[in-house]
Amino acid sequence: MMGKTIFIDPGRCIGCQACVSACRECDSHRGKSMIHLDYTEPGRSVASLPTVCMHCEDPVAPCAEVCPADAILVTADGVVQQADTTRCIGCANCVNACPFGVPKIDLQAKLQMKCNLCYDRTAYGLAPMCATVCPTGALFYGTVEELRAERPGVQVADSFAFGDVVVSTGVAMVVPADKVQWPVPGGLPVVEINGVDVR
Amino acid sequence: MSEPSEAVAAATPPPPAAPAPPAGRSVTARATLAGAAVSALLVLAIVLGSRFLRDFDSALLPYAVATVFLAFGVAYRYTVWVSSPGARRLFAKGFGSLFSAANFRKAPTALPRMIATYLGFQKFLGARSHARWAAHQLIFWGCILAALITFPLTWGWFTFTSGSGSGPGYEMRIWGFKVLGFDSLNILGWLMFHGLDIAAVLVIPGASYFLWRRMKDRGAITGQRFAYDLLPLILLIVISVTGLLLTFSSIFLHGGGYEFLAILHMVSVVFTLIYIPFGKFFHIVQRPAAVGMQLFKYTGRQDDQVFACKRCGEPVDTAPYVENLRGTMRDLRLGFDAWAEYCPRCKRVLRGNAYLTHVKKGYK
Repeated sequence: MMGKTIFIDPGRCIGCQACVSACRECDSHRGKSMIHLDYTEPGRSVASLPTVCMHCEDPVAPCAEVCPADAILVTADGVVQQADTTRCIGCANCVNACPFGVPKIDLQAKLQMKCNLCYDRTAYGLAPMCATVCPTGALFYGTVEELRAERPGVQVADSFAFGDVVVSTGVAMVVPADKVQWPVPGGLPVVEINGVDVR
Repeated sequence: MSEPSEAVAAATPPPPAAPAPPAGRSVTARATLAGAAVSALLVLAIVLGSRFLRDFDSALLPYAVATVFLAFGVAYRYTVWVSSPGARRLFAKGFGSLFSAANFRKAPTALPRMIATYLGFQKFLGARSHARWAAHQLIFWGCILAALITFPLTWGWFTFTSGSGSGPGYEMRIWGFKVLGFDSLNILGWLMFHGLDIAAVLVIPGASYFLWRRMKDRGAITGQRFAYDLLPLILLIVISVTGLLLTFSSIFLHGGGYEFLAILHMVSVVFTLIYIPFGKFFHIVQRPAAVGMQLFKYTGRQDDQVFACKRCGEPVDTAPYVENLRGTMRDLRLGFDAWAEYCPRCKRVLRGNAYLTHVKKGYK
């Protein structure tokens, strides 16, 4: 986990889409929102899940590893950047390899785009747009100490299980205290989700 | 929380064993060999094409030497690049689609159309920004024109000779064979002798626009690096301006400052040629991979081999492409290649569901 990073607490998300609107204002992808806000069971639950790039650390950036054009660079501070516009050939390898379903692709422009942690802001110590506007603190930007100063005793997890593979990330999620010793389930396998076999 | 290791066995079959990744040393050795072979071939082509150096212009020797280094660098970097799992698999599939007789019979115009739209007119850049497309087209055609003129000249493949010594009748020869006779004082002659000036006039506004954008556009500024993003533009402008100044010197200054300008021009060109394999200009070599990739996907779509998300049924991509990606992921020992069979939204929704089912039940 990076020093200053985003902490996601889906339990606080009210699905207001403020983060989606604010993300459009980011200078590095102006006019296009890179954050995903998904309603997991529309019609049955108001639960919603904001998804930003998790900036995978181990394995380091699977999106960059599968890129055939070496277009995705990881900066020294662990931020996985969006595709280099010169190199990206729009093959969508990154889109379909990302275990978190983060990158987007513009098929006309042959260009991948993704959350880069608002690098134009975070490189200068400012919070990303989404965390700046989130009214409930579902998206918090800072160090884990800063998070705990606001929310005493809160526990976070930065590893996710996809089958028997555990992916460690730079972005973390808030979890209950009794769950912190396990990786957060990433959704794979899907056989037992809500008791419904969706294979 | 469930034990993920138990559940995955029920959900997905174990992936086939991935081949061992190529050892770093063997890739370096292959790349060095490829670089040396291509450089040697170029030297041979220079010697033969210049009729055993009879037509070779020794004043252009530094340029010719730089192109030999360029050949080495491009072959070396290309070999290293296509040795990575993602590129290696797409490289094989792209060339497989390219040389497939069945594909050619099904869609004979696909390849020329893709070459024209991706490599020539770069339609995809128009979808990013019309201004960037226009600027890139200026640079692209300017550089193509300059390369077509200068490379054969420096290799001694082109010669321009006059039977009368001082013209105006000139003959253009390639490898010693006469291909064109022209009068240097007419339009064709002017175009022939000012081709590089025209190239410079095309490149300067294009490169200047991109340089301006790199100073002003906050999206472009984010994460930009001097050596990668700014240096190539500065080099293009320096080459073009010094090239134009050579013409200015010979026409208006009676050759004043010509020698200094010639050296400055030569240094900037030589540096750029050697920089090509290692910096931003390597995209010139990489970009044709886009054609191979598109052809691979296009032929899959022609055969209705669309792969639908296993959960929602929305198309993910073509089936051969998904299988190719899964193979790449297995090569890289990313153990979640089965996840590639789900669309990005379903991945997120399933993760959200898993979170509310197994992690934070109150969240629901």
